[in-house]
Amino acid sequence: MRFWTRMAAPVAPGGGARDALDVARSRLQVMCTLFSLLFVVIGLRMAWVALLRDVGEGGGATAVANDTLRADRAEIGDRNGVPLAVSMPTVALIAKPKYMIDTEETARKLAGVLPEFTAEQLRERLESGKSWMWLKRGLSPREQDAINRLGLPGIEFQDQERRIYPQGDLSPHILGYTDIDNSGVAGLEKSQDKQLRKGEPLRLAVDVRLQRFVEQELARAAQRFSAIGGTAAVMDVDTGEVVALASLPAYDPNRHKTISNEALFNRSTLGVYEQGSTFKIFNTGMVLDTGRFTPASMFDAREPIKIDRFTIKDYHGQHRVMSVADVFKFSSNIGSAKMALEVGVEGQRAFFDKIGFLKPLPIELPEVGHPLFPKQWRKINLLTIAFGHGMSVTPLHVVSGTAAMINGGIYHPPTLFRRDKVRPEDGKRVISERTSRMMRDMLRLVVAEGTGKAADVPGYEVGGKTGTAEKPGRHGYREKALISSFVGAFPMRAPRYIVMVSIDEPKGTKDTGGYATGGVVAAPSVKAIIERIITVYGIPPVDPAAVAAARARQIAAAPPPPPPPIAAATPVTPATPVAPRAVVAPVAAAPVPPAAPAPTSPRPTLAVAPRPGGVASIDQILAGQGGR
Amino acid sequence: MSLGVAAIPELHLADKVWRVNWGLMLVVTLIAGVGFLALYSAGRMNLEPWALKHATRYGAAFVLALAVAMVDIRFWMRLAYPVYLVSLVMLLAVDIVGKGAMGAQRWLVLGPLQIQPSELMKVALVMALARYYHNLAREEVGRIVYVAPPLLAILAPVALVMVQPDLGTALVLLFAGAAVMFAAGVKLWMFIVAVAGAVASLPIGWSLMREYQRNRVLTFLDPDRDPLGAGYHITQSKIAIGSGGLFGKGYGQGTQSALNFLPEKQTDFIFTMWTEENGLLGAVVLLGLFAALLAYGFFIARGSRNHFGRVLAMGITVNIFLYVFINVAMVMGLIPVVGVPLPLVSYGGTAMLTVMFACGLLQGVAIHRDLLIPRNP
Repeated sequence: MRFWTRMAAPVAPGGGARDALDVARSRLQVMCTLFSLLFVVIGLRMAWVALLRDVGEGGGATAVANDTLRADRAEIGDRNGVPLAVSMPTVALIAKPKYMIDTEETARKLAGVLPEFTAEQLRERLESGKSWMWLKRGLSPREQDAINRLGLPGIEFQDQERRIYPQGDLSPHILGYTDIDNSGVAGLEKSQDKQLRKGEPLRLAVDVRLQRFVEQELARAAQRFSAIGGTAAVMDVDTGEVVALASLPAYDPNRHKTISNEALFNRSTLGVYEQGSTFKIFNTGMVLDTGRFTPASMFDAREPIKIDRFTIKDYHGQHRVMSVADVFKFSSNIGSAKMALEVGVEGQRAFFDKIGFLKPLPIELPEVGHPLFPKQWRKINLLTIAFGHGMSVTPLHVVSGTAAMINGGIYHPPTLFRRDKVRPEDGKRVISERTSRMMRDMLRLVVAEGTGKAADVPGYEVGGKTGTAEKPGRHGYREKALISSFVGAFPMRAPRYIVMVSIDEPKGTKDTGGYATGGVVAAPSVKAIIERIITVYGIPPVDPAAVAAARARQIAAAPPPPPPPIAAATPVTPATPVAPRAVVAPVAAAPVPPAAPAPTSPRPTLAVAPRPGGVASIDQILAGQGGR
Repeated sequence: MSLGVAAIPELHLADKVWRVNWGLMLVVTLIAGVGFLALYSAGRMNLEPWALKHATRYGAAFVLALAVAMVDIRFWMRLAYPVYLVSLVMLLAVDIVGKGAMGAQRWLVLGPLQIQPSELMKVALVMALARYYHNLAREEVGRIVYVAPPLLAILAPVALVMVQPDLGTALVLLFAGAAVMFAAGVKLWMFIVAVAGAVASLPIGWSLMREYQRNRVLTFLDPDRDPLGAGYHITQSKIAIGSGGLFGKGYGQGTQSALNFLPEKQTDFIFTMWTEENGLLGAVVLLGLFAALLAYGFFIARGSRNHFGRVLAMGITVNIFLYVFINVAMVMGLIPVVGVPLPLVSYGGTAMLTVMFACGLLQGVAIHRDLLIPRNP
């Protein structure tokens, strides 16, 4: 230990030693000065903190609140400002065991105030070794006061806020919900989390008055047909605003802890389904928009199409050469496939791309499903997609696509936010105005005379299309598992709103003669929703005469007169007469007063032997119900 | 005991008692008294759990300090290296088998005793360095070869304390060691090179760090980055000091500390509590007492005619100063949070013993100030 001192020779006091002493003394002086300076610094800081900090740091004397560091999570309101999601201040209880004098005593005293805990439970948590922990969130003011009075060290409060959904279980799939730390974990709460945190409120396109009704109507229909689920949507045709959007099963975001995955699933934007015959809207629009065809153009639907090992058949075989209008009205798969052939694989693909069916919906929700379509788009796909099989999209895809078909040909991306000024130029033209006009006429035809009669509201020229798709199962399509839908719009001469209802796995009832097709299951709900829209927005009828007639009919309780003339001029060649009467014909056979007008159809055979999902049979049923 | 040249004859016990610097003992007792009052208030005007123990410990430590002072200073000089080595071994032991408190291993349990070797090391290091420099000739002090051993002697315990981890004590050791070297006359340019080297290596160290480590450092430097975490206590502390104003809220009336917004109010944050209750005036009184203690230390160092005593007194003074400075500056948000107690005021046994032992040594230097001790005794 001494090796380094060996060289030091003893030196006599004086000389070197004196020198060393001087150095040491001067060094001491330097350090003394340095430390004095530091003491002065401390003193100044002391005075600053003690006396002047009110100026510098704006500190109130004893403020301990830390919630001021955070802006409140902003409100979500409907299009009229009705609050859908708001934040409420609450207080949470935090424990910091290391500052506690006696955890056992703390636990005992706390348990006396918080009956949901036993002292033993609390003690175990306090002694779990964590430096701090939440004991309870959402303290009531009474509890907070009582705990404050206990004056326990190591027990602190933290101001928090809690998300409240004042409308209860309304529109859960739009709003989503927040987790225990108030971060959005689903719906708009998730996708707009940043904006909401910044304190910027959201104004939705949703109208509470319609949303509530749509949800109720959907639930009613689902219950009546013992369905496993369903979706419904209302969209403003000209802006793409989603005025109502519902998915069943639903949940209450206020009780998000108990939500099942099934209920969380948003069928309207996340679920992709084969949509069935509603796809014929797009097939027809696509074919007509080539400019080479009109609704009067003829297609041969006499024989089933055999391709590879598949055969494309019609459920309600017309077995004739049909016009485009008839193919649409009678929902002929053969006719639709033949029409699609005229456009070809590439043309079809391009068209569906144009109307956004190959991409997830550009909507503001995190829950958006990716459409399913063939990677290798072959001829067989071309043919089946024509009538809505072999491609899966969300129900809201159908709604926004249909809107583009009837609003003059402009595609507006769907939005949940209120848009006050939307001009046609803001959207994307996907079909010509002329095509759009023809589409409106044909959709009206379906409701006036075809499978969609149950959706008609007299005087409002409702148009639409039914769809009944069998759900694919493990071994091919399951005949009993259907997705029955109806997409309707009104008034068809200048459409304003589009309404779609889709019911998942409905079962037929006695009333419906066992049928569960779109025209039976979904169309009446669309009608009810349209009537609600009319009431809420006070929309006058476009054809008052029809309203008067309908009312008179009701009063007289008389059998309905022949249907009103087909709206607008659907060009139909005399050679293939439109078949309203042919379809109406079976009405006579239905249990309806015999006073029903005698069939005048030149081809009464058309309605004979209807098959499940067939057009005639539905009309029968509807007539039997007296119309809804 | 070869005394070599002695300016005065051997001191008798009576002479020694006569030479005791009673002013220093008074200041120390007053500071400890402030500690007692503060702890009494921290215990909500109760002797339990802190105030009474503090007083008893002080009483014992006071006697110990006087005893230490009476012992011939050459005895302590001869003991310097063994004490240092024992402390080093204990530090090593504590890192391996030590008992943890609040996530850091600082305690060594020896039978009924709980010892904090890092506290012992503070005195031991200063003693060892003082002995080392006492034995060096003036010319040798400046040579690099002779800088290496003390550097090693400082860095070894610093590293061991750092891994506990106890950054505060490590810093105190480092600065106290550096101060002793400075006082002993190590050339200035060596300090400049060392500081420059440390600063230059900062970016390299930074680039080697992981993201979370960087965040910790940044939060350490700027507590406002994390107002609910590390910065929370400082914010509360500043609020408490600020709320005291000029004359304070009155003894025992501190709301911030009573409501437990102040963490560690009986140890690291006791100055905050004292100031909240007694205002700027109380703070100035306490700081004045410390200033007096340090002044005594300087004068004792200056008055010592032997190099060992001079360096030892200086080292002890620097040590105490660092404690006071780091603690007070921290609770006022002047420097980042480092857990360092306020000497004689904060509650804690080992710290009290160490400080009083150091005071005893200081007193011993004062008593033996005229003793001339040759090199290599």
